[in-house]
Amino acid sequence: MLNDLQLNSILEDFDVAYWKINLLTKEISWSPHFNFLIGNPDTGGDKFEYFLNNILHKDYRYDFREHFEDLTNRHKPFTAEIRLKLENGKYRWFECRNLKSREKGLADAAVLLFVNIHQAKRDEYTIEENFFYYRETAEMTSTGGWYFDVDTQAVYWDNVTKKILECPMDYEPNPHDKMRFYAGDHHEKVENMLKKCSKFGVPFKMEIKMRTLHNREFWVRTTGKPVYNNDQEIIGIRGVYQDIDEQKTNELNLQNSLDIIASQNSRLFNFAHIVSHQLRSHSSNLSLISQLLGEAKNVEDKLDLLLNINDISENLEEAISNLNEVVTRQNNLKKEKQLVKFKDALEVVIASTSSLIKRENAEIIAEFDALNEISYISEYLESILLNLITNAIKYKFKGRKPVIFIQTYKEHGENFLEVSDNGMGIDLDEHGDKMFGMYKTFHRHPEANGIGLFITKNQVETLGGSISVTSTVNIGTTFKIKF
Amino acid sequence: MAHPIELACIIDDDKIYVNLVKKIIEIKKLSQNLIIFKNGKEALDYFKATLESVNEDRLPNIIFLDLNMPIMDGWEFLSEFVKIKNNFNKKITLYVVSSSIDPRDLERAKSFNMVTDYLIKPIELKRFEKIFSREVA
Repeated sequence: MLNDLQLNSILEDFDVAYWKINLLTKEISWSPHFNFLIGNPDTGGDKFEYFLNNILHKDYRYDFREHFEDLTNRHKPFTAEIRLKLENGKYRWFECRNLKSREKGLADAAVLLFVNIHQAKRDEYTIEENFFYYRETAEMTSTGGWYFDVDTQAVYWDNVTKKILECPMDYEPNPHDKMRFYAGDHHEKVENMLKKCSKFGVPFKMEIKMRTLHNREFWVRTTGKPVYNNDQEIIGIRGVYQDIDEQKTNELNLQNSLDIIASQNSRLFNFAHIVSHQLRSHSSNLSLISQLLGEAKNVEDKLDLLLNINDISENLEEAISNLNEVVTRQNNLKKEKQLVKFKDALEVVIASTSSLIKRENAEIIAEFDALNEISYISEYLESILLNLITNAIKYKFKGRKPVIFIQTYKEHGENFLEVSDNGMGIDLDEHGDKMFGMYKTFHRHPEANGIGLFITKNQVETLGGSISVTSTVNIGTTFKIKF
Repeated sequence: MAHPIELACIIDDDKIYVNLVKKIIEIKKLSQNLIIFKNGKEALDYFKATLESVNEDRLPNIIFLDLNMPIMDGWEFLSEFVKIKNNFNKKITLYVVSSSIDPRDLERAKSFNMVTDYLIKPIELKRFEKIFSREVA
């Protein structure tokens, strides 16, 4: 057996101090290590009262006295976590418990051990603190955890994930419908990344659209990392979902606004360019004339020049009325959309162009069965049809009877209008990019004023659609409008 | 007054402008002859034909090129003309003349080596005279 000295030295090594209490006399003796810890104080006789008043943190005084009396009078086990003021004046955590006596003969004495648990206690606090931060962060950022078991295909969620997905707290996801919580159009993407992660250990981080239990679709950012077992086989994927719907929606709205602004900006640029070019060319001619008038030697020359002023004034007036037309179309924006029947709009257009149609003996074939009406501004639809039809007739193939085929249909949930002709067509490789610009004319045609398609494109785009063109020289042209 | 140059060329779709310049050239006797094209395509066809006939007398000493024209605009003409220009021995001076005051147009025009200058319409009579006199000097 170890003697007291050896025992003391071992206990010291483990930072364990103790009291020995004589149960008959209630006399307390402190182990050397205990004395050392608290700085070998002069206790003035009553060690117990000195300990309570000077060493033990005041929070534990009452309990400690109770426990101590229970131990010494009734042999009740003593165990408590307490804080003691050490020799350096700082409090440290100790676990305090009695040494259970195995030998009956020792029943007249009790031993109280003081074990330093400060580090463990601090770790415990740190863990608790970290857990607090983790939980608060998860709540605040709506970030939930998930785990996917590669073997069983089972899915596990934490509470925040359940909350994000609008599931009750006792809801458990079923392996069979794990895809149900992703938006339909993102299934392929999700399957693909899960496969890549579970097979090849490729981690992922992406933005996807999910679907809550109540079928509301929303945006999340998700991460996933492979989980390996001891044999380095992938057994699962662990990751988080973060609800970013608000940010994403804002982002998409912002992008949308940006697109609108960019398109308006380009229209403004175009308009400024037109104003600059169209008006300046007339004013510069006027200036040339006035210079020449100053130089002119005789009356005939002067009269001749004055005739030019007449032409300029006519051109200027036309330019201004064209510009005015563009501005007027833009202002129509304020009008409300309503259901417009294609048939009605076409009838209005045919009525207003009847003389042109008759003169050119044009034939118009319309098929609106697949899509007979649309929510639109009726003036716009009429203007679009008018421009495309008059264009088709204006640029007919010489000697060929103009035939215009108009068709509406739905495709992938979008509405389309197509206007095809058998006219002279246009070389798109050469002119494609300028097709819808203002004052761009491609034909030596007296009636080409370069404003129709510009307006048409503007109207289509103002209501959120797009227009495209395909054409073959000498065969015909097709305009396709996506509403 | 110096001797007029032999042949000047205007490529512009603005009839009034062309008429006025024609008058200026006549009154001021700036050039003996003048050829006029309504757009880039007509001018390019002419130059290509000249190239084949090997008759450099038909090449102008000076070209005034508008930018905004139907069928083939000034830019397209420039990029095509660059390709055939080196086949001519005659020195041809080319001015871009436009009513556009867009600085991007100006930059773009200057990016062509063969463009001597970018003239903004209207051009003053005195400026015209100077440009022509520089050619014969």
